[in-house]
Amino acid sequence: MGIIDLNELEVQLANRTILNGLTGQLQGQAIGLLGPNGAGKSTLINTLLGFHLPSKGTAHVFGLDSHRDRGQIRGGIGYMPENDSFIGNMSGVRFVRYMAELAGLPSDIALERAHEALFYVGLGEVRYRKVNSYSLGMKQLIKLAQALAHGPRLLILDEPTNGLDPMARTRMIQLIKDIRKEGSIRLLISSHLLRDIDETCDEVLILKNGRIAALCNIEEERRSNRSFMELETVGATERFSVSIRGLGCEVACYAGGRIKLILPDNIDVRDLYVIASDQGVQIRRMNQRRDSLEDIFLRAMENDTERTAHGRL
Amino acid sequence: MAVYKHSYSAYTGKVTPAWMRLFVLSRYAFDEAWSSKISIGLLVFCLLPCLTSLVVIYLANNPLARALVGGKGGEMLAMDAAFFLKLLEGQCWLALVLASWIAPRVITFDLADSALPILLSHPISRFGYLFGKFVALFASLSAVTWIPCLLLFAYEGYSSPVPWVAANLHIAGGIFAGSIIWITLLAFLGLALSSWVKWRVVATGIIFAAVFIPAGVGGIVTAVLRTRWGFLINLPFMISSLWQRLVGAPAPVNPRWSLPTEAIVTMLILTCIVCVAMLNKRIRAREVVRG
Repeated sequence: MGIIDLNELEVQLANRTILNGLTGQLQGQAIGLLGPNGAGKSTLINTLLGFHLPSKGTAHVFGLDSHRDRGQIRGGIGYMPENDSFIGNMSGVRFVRYMAELAGLPSDIALERAHEALFYVGLGEVRYRKVNSYSLGMKQLIKLAQALAHGPRLLILDEPTNGLDPMARTRMIQLIKDIRKEGSIRLLISSHLLRDIDETCDEVLILKNGRIAALCNIEEERRSNRSFMELETVGATERFSVSIRGLGCEVACYAGGRIKLILPDNIDVRDLYVIASDQGVQIRRMNQRRDSLEDIFLRAMENDTERTAHGRL
Repeated sequence: MAVYKHSYSAYTGKVTPAWMRLFVLSRYAFDEAWSSKISIGLLVFCLLPCLTSLVVIYLANNPLARALVGGKGGEMLAMDAAFFLKLLEGQCWLALVLASWIAPRVITFDLADSALPILLSHPISRFGYLFGKFVALFASLSAVTWIPCLLLFAYEGYSSPVPWVAANLHIAGGIFAGSIIWITLLAFLGLALSSWVKWRVVATGIIFAAVFIPAGVGGIVTAVLRTRWGFLINLPFMISSLWQRLVGAPAPVNPRWSLPTEAIVTMLILTCIVCVAMLNKRIRAREVVRG
């Protein structure tokens, strides 16, 4: 059993299908939720929190049904929403204490943990200031503090680095890494920034148009025997890419003659030069490197586009 | 976690039962409502008529005072249903003033900065959230309605030289029921209207407007069409009629213009249902964007 189990999950909002038949098991220590805007990341999070009722299928968190057992699930979750969400009239420590009490901590312990959480995220010095006087970065941090204060089993962070300057972003990423390292909390981090996910997560779920475009373990994917290449070519690039696809390579073409490809084990780099020579294509640059999350993402996007195109045909 | 270590540690202690968390909401809402000096000032103002009534009850039961005011004054100092109806009416209208100030404070702070996604991501339901806020408002309004009225009733029972309480127990029942109905309605109305308005001052005005503008329209309808049914949207008229019947005081208006109790109760229930529908629409963790 994973931390999150999705089984043919479908969610409709205002008669529009937002999540369409999601099936998968998420079991990483830190799970990244990637996808372009409108892919359904926030809807998936809201469904896991029990805010939306699935129209079909189920979602389970720690083996509990996301809608039927939402009270129990929420007790074990810390949630940091994407947009501003706080009580501006309260001081930082009072706000975090309030949230901890709502999560079930006794009043005195909630106060103690509120102070600790605020120091932990770096807001110790400003904890008696009203939240609406905080800067954007501080508001992100106080949302993180309230999500942590009650010691959740699963921390859901929706776009945690949204609107942060580079220093604040680095601090936020470092905090997430520390939490992950501590080991008692599983993380689900939604973002459209590949770098954030790349730095913090070990598993990634990529959504596109409400469907799963990819679900993979980033580390395993990197370790897998893939030889990833970037080429810069001049000449009949399209014909060249068709030919190397014929060799069994996975190929993606970009403007300016750029080609990204994955070489199967049985194909040698020399074969590429032979085809290029036959077709009069010049290979100006060849860069062989390991699979990055960006490549996983792009491949997932591409596969999904192809799947959609085939579906239309 | 430890402040001095600046490190994270999980919480492994005991948690409070789910029902207690509703009262966490009430406690914080109550704190917000009464954190303003204006709230305290209004509370004091709302209790002034009770102080006056206390003096009147003392005088009514003081033989020297009764002798001084003479025969006509004896009527004035009569401790009957009419006296307690006036007290109830006064307190309940003051409760409207108090509600229009504190109801927005109870709920708009949460809505102004979109705190609902965070609040509702905790193990509380939307019903639980509203129940917590309702309890805070209900308790605050109780402090100026049925609690002081019943204390004065008890004081009259204690001060009266003749057995008075047993013969007038229906007055206490009427005060209690009338106050509960009114503050329940005010709490629903206050929460529903405040939840739709971001600015507290505007919300205060809207609560007043929601009570008195339909009353004016109802009065016009009644006068123009010469029908008593116009009073069905006149909340002050309806609730005053209900209080009078509950306390058992003589009817002040021409019976031709009075509304049946069933019609009044139905209208009050309908008002509450509309308020619940407004709250149901507004109190959500996420807005569903249509299109």
